[in-house]
Amino acid sequence: MKTSKLLLGDEALALAACDAGVKAFYGYPGTPSTEIFEAGEKYIKLLNDGRVAEWAANEKVAYEFALGTSYTGYRSVVTMKHVGLNVAFDAFINSAITGIQGGLIVAVADDPGMHSSQNEQDTRYLADFANLPLLEPSTPQEVYDFTIKAFALSEKLKLPVVVRLVTRLAHSRGEVSILKTSLKPESIGIPPISKKFSWVLVPSIARVRYKELRRKMPSLYEEAKKFNSLQSFPSAKVGVITSGMGSAYFYQYKKNNNISDEKYNHLNVKAYPLDMDLLHTLVKISDTIYVFEENYPYLEDMLIPYCNSKCVVRGRRDQTVPVDGELNISLIRQALENRQLDGKVDGNLFTKISSLIEIRPPKLCEGCGHRDTYQAITTALKNIGIDDPRIFGDIGCYSLGVQPPYFGIHTLVDMGASLSMAFGAALAGMTPSIGIIGDSTFFHSGMPTLLSAANLKLNINFIIMDNAIVGMTGQQAPVATDVAPLIAKAAGFRDEQIHLFTPLPQKTEENVKQLEQIFQRDEPSLIIFKRKCIIAMQRKLYPLEKKEALHE
Amino acid sequence: MNENPTYGLVVAGVGGQGAVTIAQLILGAAWMDGDHVLQSEVHGMSQRGGEVSAHIVFSKDPVMSPTIEQGDADFLLGLEPLETLRHLIYLKKDAHFITSITTIKNMENYPASENILSLLKSIDGVKMIDSDQIAKEIHFSHGANMTLLGYASNYLPVNGEVWDKVIRERFASKGEKIVDKNLLAFNTGKKLINNENFVYQ
Repeated sequence: MKTSKLLLGDEALALAACDAGVKAFYGYPGTPSTEIFEAGEKYIKLLNDGRVAEWAANEKVAYEFALGTSYTGYRSVVTMKHVGLNVAFDAFINSAITGIQGGLIVAVADDPGMHSSQNEQDTRYLADFANLPLLEPSTPQEVYDFTIKAFALSEKLKLPVVVRLVTRLAHSRGEVSILKTSLKPESIGIPPISKKFSWVLVPSIARVRYKELRRKMPSLYEEAKKFNSLQSFPSAKVGVITSGMGSAYFYQYKKNNNISDEKYNHLNVKAYPLDMDLLHTLVKISDTIYVFEENYPYLEDMLIPYCNSKCVVRGRRDQTVPVDGELNISLIRQALENRQLDGKVDGNLFTKISSLIEIRPPKLCEGCGHRDTYQAITTALKNIGIDDPRIFGDIGCYSLGVQPPYFGIHTLVDMGASLSMAFGAALAGMTPSIGIIGDSTFFHSGMPTLLSAANLKLNINFIIMDNAIVGMTGQQAPVATDVAPLIAKAAGFRDEQIHLFTPLPQKTEENVKQLEQIFQRDEPSLIIFKRKCIIAMQRKLYPLEKKEALHE
Repeated sequence: MNENPTYGLVVAGVGGQGAVTIAQLILGAAWMDGDHVLQSEVHGMSQRGGEVSAHIVFSKDPVMSPTIEQGDADFLLGLEPLETLRHLIYLKKDAHFITSITTIKNMENYPASENILSLLKSIDGVKMIDSDQIAKEIHFSHGANMTLLGYASNYLPVNGEVWDKVIRERFASKGEKIVDKNLLAFNTGKKLINNENFVYQ
């Protein structure tokens, strides 16, 4: 029996996991993946049958939580954004070699077009590198269906299965026909006695396990083949390869323009690794092949050596589609027809509009404490003669401090890089050296740098903007609150090296004076600006709810 | 001609203004009316006062693309004049669009309001609505968007009877008073089609 609902792609993944009997959701918040976990948490509450959802300090830890749950024979989902998989990569790669027990889904949301990210890396390469299967749905319905199948596939292959979403799918709301009943989480047991040591990747065992992973590859191709399809027509001389959102846009392009399916030989890729037979057939029957995929030229690069001189490949490599950015229907039309639609905005109107409109960048909220923090820091630096400060920044709401009037950060690389880059710069002679980080990002990967710094005789300043919440991704509870000073003390910081400030307009003058002193000391300082997130306060989210079952 | 055409609609506004809520109501209405529906939303960084838009696509046939091609949208609902202007690029040649006339100047270099409004006024298919004024008159300060939606509902290929239910369901958790206020704003906007006092064109 089936019923249907309007769901985001992210929500469809969470609901499917619940319906497939998932025991646990783990993750670290990151747009556009955050709502997978949040929806999972919501459904778990409704089901109330002993499942758990737990944010981890970072993606690597979350991944290992999931692997541990898998070891006990239960199904689990770990969620992260694309760059989060870099953080989890060590665990990810090696879990392919240990293999899994209970089904494990790695739900990764890529961000082509960089709506909320520092790059647009493509998770398909990472799954390929780890020798793991990856499913790439195109609609919320496919997200649901593929997730149900992914658990069975994971347990059949004894491997984690990656489900790759992209922003336009993660945040697309559509109708999803769902199962009427939810399986209860059940364990298939811990690994049997015969496999007791196969998760111990000492070299002698790892060599055996790695051989075994390689031996599984034919079954991976076999399984992926069941998802992929080639539609060919004797009259068609043009081939099209699509995957993920490329498939969705290509379908809609044909539908909206009454273009017959028979015009193109169409290879629709939904699962990886891709069997070469399908590519081979497509090449044999087509003179030209267009590739529409989100977003690196992954399939295209597989195709090019197959084509040789037999056919022409059109895609991102030859600029038929721009090499960077999101795909859309316009780009497909441009590629296939070399024209755009004539809409309401003609050349004349376009000129008029262009001369008027300005970008409207997102900004720090009115009343946000980060504003007062940036104000205090930049003023203090100016007062001690530093007119062109260079401050190492990090990832969170406070990244918006890069904008006027603060111009408060000068680097943003990856989670935690603020403190470690400040450390490296201090060692190389920068004084004062300043890194700015949020409380959740500090727990994610800022802590190790703090532990290294206590006894240096260098003017290095670790500034934590502490709002006791994960603000940017929608106000999730951080893994810990108020522990940074204790950690610093345990690591060897003296009380005089630890400073607590309240970022409020009426405190700015006083904060500036103290900062002027601190920024001129030749010793490490931990400076905490502590004030709650204004949005979270308006929404009455404090105190943040912790999951009772886990934390009683 | 396509037997079951795809209808594409863009809602544009400023982060925090409620564009996604309005889009979800339209999506819900089309779905309740028996269409296949899909909608692309903006979450994350842009919600901090940046540009926010949602695309809604529906048809009697299955739909797969959650975004609309430039030049192919049938309707635009602009909650803020500059954002209306920014998203006009999505509209079909003969498409209608409606826009609020209240500017939100939360940025450097906001263009002169009169330049934006006079350009909008000169474009075919525009309906400019003083939705903030209407919201004031019905004593519901947050009612401007619902007024615009009510007015827009006259243009959308959605059975007029479904709106009441969709609005009730959406605001039910906030209490009967809020439901009634939203219905009032919607219906006031809807009736503007017969009362051009607040409509400038």
